[in-house]
Amino acid sequence: MSALGGGGGGEGMDPVGLGIGLVVALLSVVIVYILAPTTAVFALIGVIIGGALIGFGIHFVPVGGAPAAMGQSPGIATGVAMLATGAGLAGLFGGAWAAELGFGVALAGGAIGGGLMMAITCLMVNVVYVYGMGIPAASGKVDKDPITGDTFPAYKSQGTEGHGLPFISYVGGVIGGMFGGLGGTLIYLELLEVYKETLPQILSAGAEDVIPIAVGLAGIFAVGMFLVNAVLSAYNITGTIEGPHDPKFRRFPRAVIACAIASAVCGMVAIMLVAM
Amino acid sequence: MESLLVGIGITAIAGSLAAVAGAAEDTESDIGSQGDPNSQVQLAPQMGYINRIYNKAISGEPPAYALWCAMGAGIAWALMAININAILAIVIGSALAVFVQGIYCTTAYLGRVSSLAKFEQPVYIDIIKSVTTVTMAHAFVAIFTCVAMCHLMIVALGHPFPLPLLGIVWGLALGAAGSATGNPYYGKERQYQKYKFGAGLPISASGDIVRYAEAGQRSSLDNGWFTSKLAGPASGICFGLIVFLELWRTVLFESIAGGWGAVIAGVVLILIFMVIDRYVESWARNTYGPYTSTEEASS
Amino acid sequence: MTVEISASEGGIPHNNFLGIGLVGSVVCLYLAYLNVFTGMDVFSVFGGIAAVFALWWGTDTIKNLCSYGLGTGVPSAGMLAFGSGVIAMLLATRLEIISPLVIPVGAVVIAAILGAIIGIVADKIVNMHIPVMVKALTEMAIVGALTLLGLTAMASGSFVFSELVAGTALINVGGTMIELPSFAASALGGCVLATLFMLGAIALQHPFNACLGPNESQDRTQMLALECGFLSMIPVAVISFVFISSGAALIGFLVSVIGWAYTYMEFIKLSKRDAYMWLDGKPILEKGGE
Repeated sequence: MSALGGGGGGEGMDPVGLGIGLVVALLSVVIVYILAPTTAVFALIGVIIGGALIGFGIHFVPVGGAPAAMGQSPGIATGVAMLATGAGLAGLFGGAWAAELGFGVALAGGAIGGGLMMAITCLMVNVVYVYGMGIPAASGKVDKDPITGDTFPAYKSQGTEGHGLPFISYVGGVIGGMFGGLGGTLIYLELLEVYKETLPQILSAGAEDVIPIAVGLAGIFAVGMFLVNAVLSAYNITGTIEGPHDPKFRRFPRAVIACAIASAVCGMVAIMLVAM
Repeated sequence: MESLLVGIGITAIAGSLAAVAGAAEDTESDIGSQGDPNSQVQLAPQMGYINRIYNKAISGEPPAYALWCAMGAGIAWALMAININAILAIVIGSALAVFVQGIYCTTAYLGRVSSLAKFEQPVYIDIIKSVTTVTMAHAFVAIFTCVAMCHLMIVALGHPFPLPLLGIVWGLALGAAGSATGNPYYGKERQYQKYKFGAGLPISASGDIVRYAEAGQRSSLDNGWFTSKLAGPASGICFGLIVFLELWRTVLFESIAGGWGAVIAGVVLILIFMVIDRYVESWARNTYGPYTSTEEASS
Repeated sequence: MTVEISASEGGIPHNNFLGIGLVGSVVCLYLAYLNVFTGMDVFSVFGGIAAVFALWWGTDTIKNLCSYGLGTGVPSAGMLAFGSGVIAMLLATRLEIISPLVIPVGAVVIAAILGAIIGIVADKIVNMHIPVMVKALTEMAIVGALTLLGLTAMASGSFVFSELVAGTALINVGGTMIELPSFAASALGGCVLATLFMLGAIALQHPFNACLGPNESQDRTQMLALECGFLSMIPVAVISFVFISSGAALIGFLVSVIGWAYTYMEFIKLSKRDAYMWLDGKPILEKGGE
């Protein structure tokens, strides 16, 4: 599969669309560079990376959709965008709390928060399947688990495409949660820095006083951008994915580029809020 | 030292509030069939299976609960801003959120089932009259505990986010955790109770949900009784653990190594859960063994 | 076997919804701005009506988009609309430095640009290849931005940035309660926008999501859109008690409740008209008799 494939079709990206998108992203960076204080450009780069991380991470999360709710396909029985957003926001909660302790700590806290939520959720999903429904985990896309070597065909009930969360899907879920939390927290922290720097001047108030506004603005922007990136990635996945071992996983470059471009434009708008 | 004790105490309360919220959320979404299992209730008339299940197609549980909790939190924040007592504010906020939720439930049922006229599925008004209030009651428990938990995080633990924003964050996480854990149990075990235990549902059986059950023609009210025995508590434990451990690792370990202590604690916790999951998975494979003969999983 | 997401054809053409919704919403936002000219805040309720216009228009847009088969559900479209809408709306509130009167039109322009870019990204890069994708996502971003502007105006009496960050709180100073300015008690500081965001996002996708099916009819879906709009105004009216005078908030509350009650009754009537049968306390009617 080539990332820049021929025009149209299921795989690859439309070169015209890709060109427009990259031009737009570059334009956003240039606009911010000209109109906003210098540090804002680095913030925009951070937002772009955050968006790309979200897009990448979502492809790790195992989502089975409606069939998973009946034990017909492996994965978690929720929508892709919403499950990933839930994990990412739980990570954002932890990251925002640790924001005053330092950039690196806050990012790590956000990543771990998202990963921990997915770890617990995936464990309880397996508990319900195994102890509540008497169904072992089995994948429908591969015959052998890449990590543990468990074989699946004999453990797949007849007429289904697999069920539960095989270990590779579990690990994928945790990694996806971590990337989601990391990306969301990165977007939040970058915007928070920009607002804390520029709002005192705009509102003619002290640095300590504007913190509620900065937090409120950065928070709602982070939630909005997270949702945009999550839905774009969900469109890329078209509904369900078993995890990193699923062939659909190899579509991720499209989503990463799409999320990067969308985040560039949204980040530019968010920074222009204080640059005008 | 004292602030550490208070922190641990609040963490424990928040964790238990979260557990109750998770259990109530899942039971509510099973009593009024919502989310992915509801696609089967929507499919059933298409396959010829007329039913009396509450087809509550609001959206998935995560965005729906993000709305109810954000609403409860927003109204509570507003009432607290005009100096109404915090507990009363949260109660009123949750009550108003539940009213809106109840209306959404009824319009979802009426909308979906009226659009199924081609498949000869009637609209049963008595379902709306009997089930809606039960759904609302469970939702109230979930919303109230979630908003109260968010309020504690701000007031007692000093989280920087304002209450409505925390309402979205934890409402979405509540919906995601409850939906992930509880949906398969409701979807397979209860909706397809007549199919053999211990196997997934064959694709050929889609739509053939249980309509005549142990207490006469199945109503969604009966689902609550069943799912509250396993799926509800499992969702409660899931969300309770998420909130509790997130707060616990921060409150206890954040002062170590400039914040990195909490991160390391989180990594250790993730690894522990990974080991437990691997144990559960292997236990299932060894105890249940492979599927042997080619018998169909349907009766 | 999957559920068919089907919708009715024909009816009022979509561009009618676009025209009436866009113009109606922007006009109502300007009516809400009368608050500034008259010095009263009773006109805040027009912000809510602007949101109802926008949601009514957006419902038909979502129906248009989702009939092509997105592969994901309907709710994600609503989230996309409001995710991009909130970003555009917040920038638009800062257009006050040019002139506050520019804000509603500015929001439409910024949201259109943002929505178009996201639409191009979704269509060309993610390869959705849905014919109406770019137009639909552009419209939805505008709907999101206008709804949020309207609900914010209804909640706080204004959609101007400098007023959204102004708030007062009763603070205990030496034994007496004094009202002091406080950023944390403002509309943006308390992030009331979070509640409005979710209210709009669910209200936008609910009408089509709840009415989809082989017998979906346009008038019923649109009536539900109006009902969801008025229903969303009710909690906003309650929140507005913080920011605007009690009289104005009460007017907003009454308008929301009356509007909601009327549209809800109409929706039930239309459901009765469309339903196969309207039964009360009857058992399952199996197909083909019995």
